[in-house]
Amino acid sequence: MSRLLPGPRTEPLAAVDGAAMVFGDDVNTDLLHPSYFFSLDADTVRQGFLGQVAGKATDGTRSRVLLAGDNFGCGSSRETTMQSLRLAGVQALVATSFGRIFFRNALCLGLPAFSCPDAATLAEEGQPVRVDPLAGTATNLATGRTVALTPLDPFWRQVLEAGGMMPWLEQRGSLT
Amino acid sequence: MTLSRTLTHKLLDAAATGETVAGSAWREIHPDLVLGHDATIALIVDRIARAGGRIAEPERLFLVADHFAPPSTVDRANILRRFLDFVEQSGIVEAGGRLEMMQGICHQVLVESPRCRPGSVIVGADSHTTMAGAVGAFATGMGSTDILAVLRTGRTWLSVPDSIRVDIAGDMPAWLRGKDVALHLLGRMGEAGARGAALELSGAGVPMDGRLTLCNMAVELGAKNGVWVSDAVTRDWCRARGEGGWPDDVALEDLQPDAGAAYVATERVDLSTLAPQVAAPWSPANVHDITAVAGERVHQVFIGSCAGGRLEELGDAAGLLRGRRIPPLMKLVVTPSSTAVYKEALRRGWIEDLIDAGAVVTNASCGACGGIDKGLVAAGEVCLSTSNRNFRGRMGDPDARVFLGSGLVAAATALTGRLTDPREVL
Ligand code: SF4
Repeated sequence: MSRLLPGPRTEPLAAVDGAAMVFGDDVNTDLLHPSYFFSLDADTVRQGFLGQVAGKATDGTRSRVLLAGDNFGCGSSRETTMQSLRLAGVQALVATSFGRIFFRNALCLGLPAFSCPDAATLAEEGQPVRVDPLAGTATNLATGRTVALTPLDPFWRQVLEAGGMMPWLEQRGSLT
Repeated sequence: MTLSRTLTHKLLDAAATGETVAGSAWREIHPDLVLGHDATIALIVDRIARAGGRIAEPERLFLVADHFAPPSTVDRANILRRFLDFVEQSGIVEAGGRLEMMQGICHQVLVESPRCRPGSVIVGADSHTTMAGAVGAFATGMGSTDILAVLRTGRTWLSVPDSIRVDIAGDMPAWLRGKDVALHLLGRMGEAGARGAALELSGAGVPMDGRLTLCNMAVELGAKNGVWVSDAVTRDWCRARGEGGWPDDVALEDLQPDAGAAYVATERVDLSTLAPQVAAPWSPANVHDITAVAGERVHQVFIGSCAGGRLEELGDAAGLLRGRRIPPLMKLVVTPSSTAVYKEALRRGWIEDLIDAGAVVTNASCGACGGIDKGLVAAGEVCLSTSNRNFRGRMGDPDARVFLGSGLVAAATALTGRLTDPREVL
């Protein structure tokens, strides 16, 4: 029996803690999640995460915060890439900048995604990081360094607070 | 005082409903057409049901079975089935929507249809939806949840992006193609060079197939959309699509930016100064003149994808390979972008030319491009592909190396078994 892919976030928006996973610039979706792991089955999708990035394997049991450089998630629109991140335990994304479809995919599923000029230098791989979407900050819990996240546009802020695009449309009464 | 608007701004204004969120740059947009394919629509079928099931405007849907077409694994057969069951059960075709069954890659099949209207707003569940901008439309790609929202409500939310002008001057030399211009821009601007922005391209010297490639690869620059500023070439090509191919109520003058519109940057390309370009592994922005990399041994040439399997590439390859044979150890895989392209190439004798030269020709589909079907590459192999992305592992083994180039570079390379400047064999 196959396991369904997760839907939008159901917990209220709150600060999240996780071990840092650190990436550089222009990391594309084919690298994060090769297309041959495209599937409707959650186990297959989870196995594909970071298929080709050595040393970043994860079994999904540990909470993660993903930190990246410029243009993170450029490339394909396949939402399975975002699903694979969630299945791998990623609770929040902070990058210098994102590929635009990837950024929308995160917020549409209710996953906090913020740009921040200091994203790539905030923490070393594995250090504990707290992302507080309500306060608009990210903190390296090992060093105590806190940086400001670039505020979301008010529309995307509403979508994120609602838990994603579909819950937001539901709240607005658009899903008749 | 009236505001001078870019072409992208005008196209989005025409589809805006007036709904906004206080303080936001995002606006509710009523798209004219929604593109989807087997893989990305299958992903949301169960969520459509959970979200009430109703499809807001089925007559605006353009759905294509192209990725797993025909499917090559049991998992993919099941994904395609899920998509087709959804189309059947939701009565999309009966309600006036389109289903194209394995007739080619969604982006190509879409632009061949008069439903792909100049001046319209198109959203699609695939990043290369930008290609439809070549007919003077605003066209952008989205993920599945975004498209789920469009299916349920008939609306989406977009902001007006900054626009970058791309002015392409001069006539196309015999050895140059739109692909070379696209790669040149990628080399110059980088993978994030137009991130979130609109590209507004113009230049009478670029034929329509090259314009389609340029708008397709706008997304490789990170662009939200790529739109060609329509001219007589656009209009004639659209008209040739048949009745309604260029709508009676659309004038060329309506599809121009306003005089004095503000652009964040202007890129100028002079076609007479460009050498054939190739992108080396593993980025479409790792671009070099062919002369800098010529001579490297190549094991496979792939002519296909939504960026490079049209009549231009097929004709270039047939023209160069006619009456010649590729080396015995060369794998030349040709996957036409659509069945219409395939049939026309057959009619012109090009398919026979290619087969006689040693090529294998597959059915029109995504094929090897997304690492999906026939033509994947092995560890240690080098491939020259006319597709749009050479990311590591995309076309097969992560230790294969993929170069990107035009159909002419592809044919010249297939002929010699080495990365080859087409000027040497033309
Ligand atoms: S041909 Fe390649 S790039 Fe185009 S839609 Fe198919 S997989 Fe995507």
